[in-house]
Amino acid sequence: MRCTEINPNLGAFVLGGLEPEEEVEVYQHLASCSRCRGELGELDGVIRALEAAPGPAEPPSYLKEEILSRVRAGERAEKAPSSTEELSYFGKEPHSTRGSRLKNLRFILPGVAAAAIVAVVALGIFFGSREEPPVATVQLIPLEENDPYWGVAELHPKPSGNQQVELKLNNLEEPGSDSFYEAWFTSGEKYISAGTFTTAGSGETDVWLNAPPETRSYPTLLITKQTATGDPAPSQEEILRGKVL
Amino acid sequence: MPQRPEEQSDEQLMDLLTGPKVEAALSALYDRHGSTVFRVGLKLLGDRSLAEELVQEVFLKVWRSSSTFDPSRSSFSTWLYRVTRNAALDLHRKRARKIRSMTDEDPQIETIRDSSLGPQETVEDSWLTWRVSKALEGLGAEHRQVIELAYFRGLSQREISRRTGLPLSTVKSRTYSALKRLREGLAGQQGLREAGRSGR
Repeated sequence: MRCTEINPNLGAFVLGGLEPEEEVEVYQHLASCSRCRGELGELDGVIRALEAAPGPAEPPSYLKEEILSRVRAGERAEKAPSSTEELSYFGKEPHSTRGSRLKNLRFILPGVAAAAIVAVVALGIFFGSREEPPVATVQLIPLEENDPYWGVAELHPKPSGNQQVELKLNNLEEPGSDSFYEAWFTSGEKYISAGTFTTAGSGETDVWLNAPPETRSYPTLLITKQTATGDPAPSQEEILRGKVL
Repeated sequence: MPQRPEEQSDEQLMDLLTGPKVEAALSALYDRHGSTVFRVGLKLLGDRSLAEELVQEVFLKVWRSSSTFDPSRSSFSTWLYRVTRNAALDLHRKRARKIRSMTDEDPQIETIRDSSLGPQETVEDSWLTWRVSKALEGLGAEHRQVIELAYFRGLSQREISRRTGLPLSTVKSRTYSALKRLREGLAGQQGLREAGRSGR
């Protein structure tokens, strides 16, 4: 085959998106064409750069308004008497009053500090026992661009090696009778189920699943719709998919 | 007739942050760069809620520190990258402190801390992440779509063809030209790269 026929396939070749027989054609051409090998090397560099790329995620729509409202509040605070001015009130006090207030503070501060420590420890125990930091966030994207549902998965490592998977799914419709959703970790032809679940329809659904340690090396997270009588394998009805980055 | 905020350059919008048009200016800057900051944050911090916190921190810093931006020393994008990197490092340290306090209570959690990126690695990765993200945004929608489907979603060319309704030959040639344009976009950031390094 000539370079002009092979060239359009090079992009798909480095991305691994060609059919096996097309890959063979590219390999055969590359063996005898240094120009296309050079071209392939440059495209391969782009793929390596893409490894550093963030996935196509968008911030939540409310975030911008939250920032702007904080700016508005900040501006109002600037126009109002500032905290520095309020603190300078001490400086305007007669010396004796200031001294007695400082004396009072010496008694009050240790109590406040002790109360603060107790509160921090209590909060730490409360949150620390409930929440571990997620190591990965997976953006789950629908198969069809116009589908109204989407989601995010957070993968929490557990000391046992298992991964706890939190699915936050939006607008995923009820699966229907004799059907349910199933989450899968996949790697090529291999797959491991992370568990099944259902949803209540519109709005946000929060689901917690547990996956075995082996799933840590599986790069893709799939959500499929399964039927109760179907095979114990991912069905063709793919709903959401995301790459574990 | 005065330009609308969305028609003004980043540098012009930065000037407006100290005046009465602060909201419109910050809103336009957010529309242009908010997604990049969020995606880079997600990549570096690996957590959606931390990435959201990062976006808030960064844009409030842009507002509060607009007077420290000097367009004669760096482009707005490079300056914003530095603001993002520093805020991400702060959040990273905050998270590390939280994990340390948990480790004291449960030594088994040590393995989690070891698997997370260190601050230096975060800094080193962040510049490339920023550049690639900006280069991807610089692609046209058609080219960005095939990269997202092929690379981020792992679809084969035939699957992309089925999904988009485009002929297979079009998908292949579009994928090829998308990667070439991405390479050009990354090469075009050579000057930006030098500026980013000097900012470390």
